[in-house]
Amino acid sequence: MVRKTFHKLRELLPAALLVLIASFLLIPLAARSAGQKGNEAKGKFYFKQTCKPCHVKGEKGGEVTPLVKTQAQWESYFAKGKHMKGTEPLTKYMTPEQLTDALTFLYNHAVDSPQPETCGK
Amino acid sequence: MNRRGFLKLAATGAVGASIVELESCKSPQGNAAGKNAAPDRVEIASTCDMCLNKCSLIAVVEKGVVKKLNPNPLNPKSRGMLCARGNAGIQQLHDPARIKRPMIRTGERGEGRWKSVSWDEALDYTAQKLAAVKDKYGPEGTLWSSSEGFQEEFFRNLSQAFGSPNTVRHPTLCLASVNLAYSLTYGTVPGFDVQNARYIIMSGANRLESFITPDTMALVDATTARKAKLVYLDPRFTKTASKADEWFPIRPGTDAAFILAMLNVIISENRYNKDFVSTYCYGFEQLAEHVKQYSPDWAAEETQIPAKDIQHIAREFADAAPRAIYYAGRRSSWSTDDFAMRRAQAILNAIVGSWDRLGGMVPAAKIELGELLYLPWDDPKASRVDELDKNFPLAAKNDGVYLKLRENVLAGKPYPIKAWMVYKQDPVNGIPEQEKTLQMLRQMDFVAVIDVQMSDTAWYADVILPESTYLERLDPIEMQAGIRPVVLLRQPVVKPLHDTKPCLEIVQGLAKRLGLSDYFDYTMEKWVAEQAKTLPMELPLEYLKKHGVYSPPEFPKYGMTLTHDHRFITKSGKIDLYSERLKDAGYDPLPVYHAPSKIPDGQFRVVLGRHAFYTHANNTNYPWLNSFSPENTLWLHPKPAHTLGISSGDTVEVASSVGVIKLKATVTPKIRPDCVFLQHGFGKRSSWQRLATSGGSDAEILETAWDKVSGGAAMHETMVKVRRV
Repeated sequence: MVRKTFHKLRELLPAALLVLIASFLLIPLAARSAGQKGNEAKGKFYFKQTCKPCHVKGEKGGEVTPLVKTQAQWESYFAKGKHMKGTEPLTKYMTPEQLTDALTFLYNHAVDSPQPETCGK
Repeated sequence: MNRRGFLKLAATGAVGASIVELESCKSPQGNAAGKNAAPDRVEIASTCDMCLNKCSLIAVVEKGVVKKLNPNPLNPKSRGMLCARGNAGIQQLHDPARIKRPMIRTGERGEGRWKSVSWDEALDYTAQKLAAVKDKYGPEGTLWSSSEGFQEEFFRNLSQAFGSPNTVRHPTLCLASVNLAYSLTYGTVPGFDVQNARYIIMSGANRLESFITPDTMALVDATTARKAKLVYLDPRFTKTASKADEWFPIRPGTDAAFILAMLNVIISENRYNKDFVSTYCYGFEQLAEHVKQYSPDWAAEETQIPAKDIQHIAREFADAAPRAIYYAGRRSSWSTDDFAMRRAQAILNAIVGSWDRLGGMVPAAKIELGELLYLPWDDPKASRVDELDKNFPLAAKNDGVYLKLRENVLAGKPYPIKAWMVYKQDPVNGIPEQEKTLQMLRQMDFVAVIDVQMSDTAWYADVILPESTYLERLDPIEMQAGIRPVVLLRQPVVKPLHDTKPCLEIVQGLAKRLGLSDYFDYTMEKWVAEQAKTLPMELPLEYLKKHGVYSPPEFPKYGMTLTHDHRFITKSGKIDLYSERLKDAGYDPLPVYHAPSKIPDGQFRVVLGRHAFYTHANNTNYPWLNSFSPENTLWLHPKPAHTLGISSGDTVEVASSVGVIKLKATVTPKIRPDCVFLQHGFGKRSSWQRLATSGGSDAEILETAWDKVSGGAAMHETMVKVRRV
């Protein structure tokens, strides 16, 4: 059931995007999402699934990890919502909800975020 | 009993014949020993799981029977060693008292009456009970506790997919204060290059006796072959003390005073590394002003270590830097101010420049592993029952704070917890104030334990789901970060001897019944294959299956962070001597000393310790290991022993405000007169742990106390009365 809903959401993505992009352009993401209020686990999933294929060492996007920016820089980046040096919107790749989740993951693991290590995993 | 004798007896079923409901060793597949097509002799590389160190091993398997576990010399961390515990892994496999099939309780909790059931029955029962609690109290009404292990992630994922925020792991019984202090100072928990250090200070990290790891062997090399200096502080004269150049029986709980006075000397005498501090550190001016109050004379009063010794140690330490380390060690919190002591250590190491240099602290290097992406779940709606955000805002979120959590569960605040799932953990024997843990168990509607042995906690469970041992299962590939990072594979060396399952299959069985299968729609083989993909070799999984370990030759590397543009993962971007993050959270931004509570007349402070024969409360029931130390005793100095009329071998009663135990006394001058000591892991309640029921359990007498910042259980805050009985 969960999986079906998940796949259905992904199939519907292009149609939903048209509506969501419009709302996205009107209201900056950071203001709408209060920054880190998304789902971190989902954010990690979307980041790895969508961003990582191009953003690893040796690929065209260059390596991107949460540690390449501070929390403020990630918030600023997502508030601008631009990708490819400002030439295309982030919403080309994720829904606003997914972007909120991705921001949450990146923000929580940014280079200036508190990251107490643990024993084992 | 030797290995040959044990195996012979195990095969005939004679070992442990008196144990409750001892069952046969037949596996669901047939004969345990793989009688048919098993090759005459094979050697299989895998990874030990008898402690957290995870050394590499080579199992010698003859006709399907593990004959011997040998060290794997390819792992630079285990350095061709498999310790006594590692050798005794064979006894975990063949333990007659293993949990051999799923069981459901038939008597009262703790009565030891069970019925064997099928896996379907056990999983149906568990899922029904969890669903019932969820219906009545919400998913947050369930508690999920676990300890480190290669399959722990699956257990934790099930708790989250189920919707409970209440995971509690072992770190607040372990290294929480160390991890938090170093994380806040350096943005990471570094390794300590003991192998190359010239000057080492240890506060109670009894490295030569309590735990055998690469650092232990490096310490032997350092102090013997290279003549590095070892300064050791401990209220006991341990084996590490016996090999130290200088030993000080410090007053327990005052280590921070010693370190702060060292800082005072080093700064006031301009012995710190000015270039390093100005380039890489934040808040030195505030630190220098702060430690003016902590003079050696003042510290001498607190610690009972002479001021002249504090001064000469500080000077020698600074002179030996950067090959000088105040070693963090592996130990739990001991006082309610343990975090401040750890912060002081981290700061001391920083100002002499012992960072990312040969013989200093070295940031842990990593090897990138691939990752299988699985379907993510919604966040739990409820907040944590231990109210971590309010009580311990800087602590690791998913670890929880064990003792505070127990207090809240017992109080039913902020909401009731009625089901407890336990994986690879023994809170009954492992955490202070056992009676409270038992109370917590009593108020549960349901308790399930996943384990390989009948721990004290399993003894009180409603259902037991037996896990296959590490010699019988394939685990996720593990990357161990460190000065020499390694990638480890644990693969089965024999088929499961009994009707047991790996954790993932137990989790998947429960997930299926709870409607959560989509989140666990993969196999272990697929998981491992994805992980191996990124390793820099052809056929990486085949490589790991053959060798068991991958260790890149380019390590160790020093100085990778010593560039002017390096940004530490801290709030300031530098090494935070002064921590704005601590200040923002309402804590002292610099370590402040608080004197330990005084010991009342006629009482003693309990100090604890581990021994390398055992892993915490584990392994005390394996004959090869138990024979080294069949029971624990209470160490007592001859002076108070004389006053109390106690001789070695006498049975004594040890009473704290929360419990009473009885065990034999060892009268010895190797402990301060105001302290008593007992070893952890004995006095067990589970009749299946028959070799470990002797002696006394420290969990019964230790009081509930925790470190103020990390929440780590403060193990040395209990005072006791002792009398001969």
